[in-house]
Amino acid sequence: MERKKTYIEDIDRGIYDIKNEFTYKYKSDKGLTPKIIMEISREKDEPKWMTDFRLKSLKIYNSKPLPTWGADLSGLDIDNIVTYVRPDASMASSWDEVPEDIKKTFEALGIPQAEREALAGVGAQYDSEVVYHNVKEELIEQGVIYTDMETALKEYEDIVREHFMKLIPPHDHKFAALHGAVWSGGSFVYVPEGVQVDIPLQSYFRLNAPGAGQFEHTLIIVEKGASLHFIEGCSAPLYRVTNLHAGCVELYVREDAKLRYSTIENWSRNMYNLNTKRAVVDKNGTIEWVSGSFGSKVTMLYPMSILRGEGARSEFTGITFASSGQYLDTGTKVLHAAPNTTSSINSKSISKNGGYAFYRGLLKVAPNAYGCKSTVSCESLMLDNESVSDTVPVIELHNDDIDIGHEAKIGRISDEAIFYLMSRGIDEEEAKAMIVRGFVEPITKELPLEYAVELNNLINIELEGSIG
Amino acid sequence: MKIIDSEIYSLPKDIDYKKEYLKFEAALPEGVILEKINKDKNEIALDYLIAKEFEEAKDQLTPLVEESYNTGVVFYLPKDVKVDQPIKIEFNMDDDNPVVINQNIIVADTASEATIIIDYTSSEGVEAFHQGITKIFAKDKAKINVIKIQRMDNKAKSSDTNIGFIKGQGQINWISVELGSAITVSHYSNYLEGEASGSNLSSIYLGDGNRKIDLEYSMIHKGPRSISNIETKGVLMDEAEKIFKGNLDFKKGARRSKGVEEEYVILLDPTVKADSIPALLCHEDDVEGEHAASAGQINESKLFYLMSRGLDERKAKKLIVEASFRPIIDKIPFEDYRQIVIDEVERRFMDDKN
Amino acid sequence: MKKTLLEIKDLKVNVEEKEIIKGLNLQIHEGEIHIIMGPNGSGKSTLAYTLMGHPKYEISDGEIIFEDELINDLRADERAKKGIFLSFQYPEEIPGVTVEEFLRTAKTSVTGKYQGIMAFKKLLKEKMEELEMDEEYATRYLNQGFSGGEKKKNEILQMSILDPKLAILDETDSGLDVDAIRIVAEGVKRVHDKDKSILVITHYNKLLDYLNPDYVHILLDGKIVKTGGMELAEEIDKRGYEHIRAKYSVH
Repeated sequence: MERKKTYIEDIDRGIYDIKNEFTYKYKSDKGLTPKIIMEISREKDEPKWMTDFRLKSLKIYNSKPLPTWGADLSGLDIDNIVTYVRPDASMASSWDEVPEDIKKTFEALGIPQAEREALAGVGAQYDSEVVYHNVKEELIEQGVIYTDMETALKEYEDIVREHFMKLIPPHDHKFAALHGAVWSGGSFVYVPEGVQVDIPLQSYFRLNAPGAGQFEHTLIIVEKGASLHFIEGCSAPLYRVTNLHAGCVELYVREDAKLRYSTIENWSRNMYNLNTKRAVVDKNGTIEWVSGSFGSKVTMLYPMSILRGEGARSEFTGITFASSGQYLDTGTKVLHAAPNTTSSINSKSISKNGGYAFYRGLLKVAPNAYGCKSTVSCESLMLDNESVSDTVPVIELHNDDIDIGHEAKIGRISDEAIFYLMSRGIDEEEAKAMIVRGFVEPITKELPLEYAVELNNLINIELEGSIG
Repeated sequence: MKIIDSEIYSLPKDIDYKKEYLKFEAALPEGVILEKINKDKNEIALDYLIAKEFEEAKDQLTPLVEESYNTGVVFYLPKDVKVDQPIKIEFNMDDDNPVVINQNIIVADTASEATIIIDYTSSEGVEAFHQGITKIFAKDKAKINVIKIQRMDNKAKSSDTNIGFIKGQGQINWISVELGSAITVSHYSNYLEGEASGSNLSSIYLGDGNRKIDLEYSMIHKGPRSISNIETKGVLMDEAEKIFKGNLDFKKGARRSKGVEEEYVILLDPTVKADSIPALLCHEDDVEGEHAASAGQINESKLFYLMSRGLDERKAKKLIVEASFRPIIDKIPFEDYRQIVIDEVERRFMDDKN
Repeated sequence: MKKTLLEIKDLKVNVEEKEIIKGLNLQIHEGEIHIIMGPNGSGKSTLAYTLMGHPKYEISDGEIIFEDELINDLRADERAKKGIFLSFQYPEEIPGVTVEEFLRTAKTSVTGKYQGIMAFKKLLKEKMEELEMDEEYATRYLNQGFSGGEKKKNEILQMSILDPKLAILDETDSGLDVDAIRIVAEGVKRVHDKDKSILVITHYNKLLDYLNPDYVHILLDGKIVKTGGMELAEEIDKRGYEHIRAKYSVH
């Protein structure tokens, strides 16, 4: 990617989302057409308002330029976007076409063959219903709704209509508009007032459904005083023939409610991951983001917390691990829009083998949001000098009654730390791996055990023979 | 937030500044050149002006200054020469001389050393305008200290760019004091090109009234074992706005380099705006880069302690602000200028007009 | 006659091209306690790091022989497996790695035997009790946020878990209060009681009140200039290094 001295201006443009009026060249023969969109909507048997919404989004999509900051998206065949939405039958993948390195990783992680095929998008849908059967019984008893978005649109139309793409309007950016036009699949969770969901809900199995995990929409509403832990994705590599992922996640956290949203993203290395995630938090509510970005070729991902109720709280814990051929542009945005709101951001990144890790964040305190507190910490670990790591946190403060602290550090594994571990009989590779695992520990300890174990294995696979 | 838009920016042309601004009485060591800039002369300056590397460092504003400057100083230090007395440059803009567009070129040969103070003031109520660029080339083991004090009137505008090239074990130390002007743009870029090149930048700023302050400090590490340090302390009150961009940029090859950047701002009124972008850019693994920033109100227990000793709130706050500025003010190596700065902080703080 | 455990022959060590150890000879037999005393800058820590195999310390001449084997070129982990242990003067902080996880990995490496989780927990608890360490330390990150005294105790804990043949204690007594010194000294004694050898490298002689050294060596400018018994330590204590330097300096 070309980088000029004017990068700060570039970032500004992204952060401020200036509405850009010039028109994207519309190619009727190759591009997405209203006809295709209506077809999608008809196949899904959607209500008219959703069809209209899709068509409106399509218009916006066609009028928006690509972002002029962040990652290089030239690898996306944007003129031919229709192929991402409606891949040719000839593009359907088979197990033989799944890249070798992914197969090896499945093997190293000890994933059963049936599941491997599902993860690679070539097998039959992994039978999530069976796995979730017992969970569901319990949830239904508590009045919790956990279903896929298509079903939600039919059975809970009013709720969906009230919330769908209200936090992330299609105007937001080109890929939000694309999502609005072609979204498909995803999870819907509704937790009624006062209900505490004890076990984490996982979208792991849903992602294995054929065609899912590309433009999926996640909508979660946690009502007053309720709590939920939702886990998206999985640490095994996900492979798709089509290499664009433009999902949307919209989270509504009501008064005194608490939502933890964990993501371990490990798309295969051909993927452009351009996901948009946003949470709005009411009075004394809490949103906790746990975000691990390991896979993809390019990621641009900045989960945002809008703290709109007094005393609302946001916590972000993120790890980004960029390796050869990867440009991972990640971070978080927090908007303190009400008094006495607090946020903490703890971001870590690792870059190795020429990987590019970019932390890009925004912390904004509105004029009326007095009494706010925020701490931001960004740490970057460079494992070699082929790799790149940039940290650009933007802080905008519009009142005085606040307490903001920010720290960032960059460097490599200290030779002294390696020697210390080696002096206890641990060999050099293991010493380094141990230090790296320690570095990511703040995120692994936030995950359920099976994820943490898998994540550590993944790090070991990543590090094997590659650091020196 | 952008304080000025360089694309629509232009400079007043052909306005002379007729006052004396270069003040240096002591005899200069042999070989030292210190004179006012002259478009037809100044070979050394031109020599370096066309230097390719400098072309890369230009921002949008520098060509404008290079075309239209009406003042400036050329200062050349030969090898091993140390000038003990500070070189004082004082611009005082008034009704008859409201515009200073200055280009200062300082070339410090191997192991030379000097200190330069540049003071910008303007008469009350005059819509003075200052746009300047200061370019410094510090060769191996050279040490250049530059102190810039900007305390122009609230009707004035000031924009100042500073670029340092540091070779070998050279060092450029900047102290920047920004206390005046309706609009202030203050940019510093230091290219640490040699092995063990060094640069320090210490600054204080005070934003009061409707003032707008745009600060951008960059340390570009190219040489191995180069060391940089940025320390900024500011205070914002009334409706002042500030944007701070601090860039620590480690280029490939800057092995074992170290850069530290700290920015602390005290916010005194709910109507202020404070933006910060402390960027850390890294293309080399064997480096240590750190930045820290904090923003908030005055420490309440400190305030209470001082008030319990009989100080009113304004005075107590002033004292705390001064205390936070003090470590940087104390780096100014001349008592008279330290006092000037302290007095100006006090005047701005206690003046109710602001 | 007991077996020779460590023999250092005419050792010369450079740090960043500067010679720090300038021809050092030392022999340690099984079960012996040796003390090396010297002022700041005499080469004490250099010796400790060199024996443990720190890559920054370059052996320009001489031999380090451990159990009849030349170990000059062995890496730190290989030396640890042979039974050499260094208690660091400034132990590193390793965030995210718990004391227990770290020590179990280390013990597995050093012994070459898998350490069962429950059995190891028991061993760790036992050793921590001996050192009057709160159980809670096992789950804390290695040395992170530990006080100076806690770090030193943690070093001794590692020593007692790894059970080395030769323990080198680099300024382990510095920065410790009276109680901590006693606890650390008792820990060292327990290792010594198992007929293991101890090499104490120190500036002061605080630990010596508890240990009964076989030999006291004085290190000046990279060489051992005098070897004797406790009386040497007492002489330093009473009269200081300046006196010693005047008396024994080879210059």
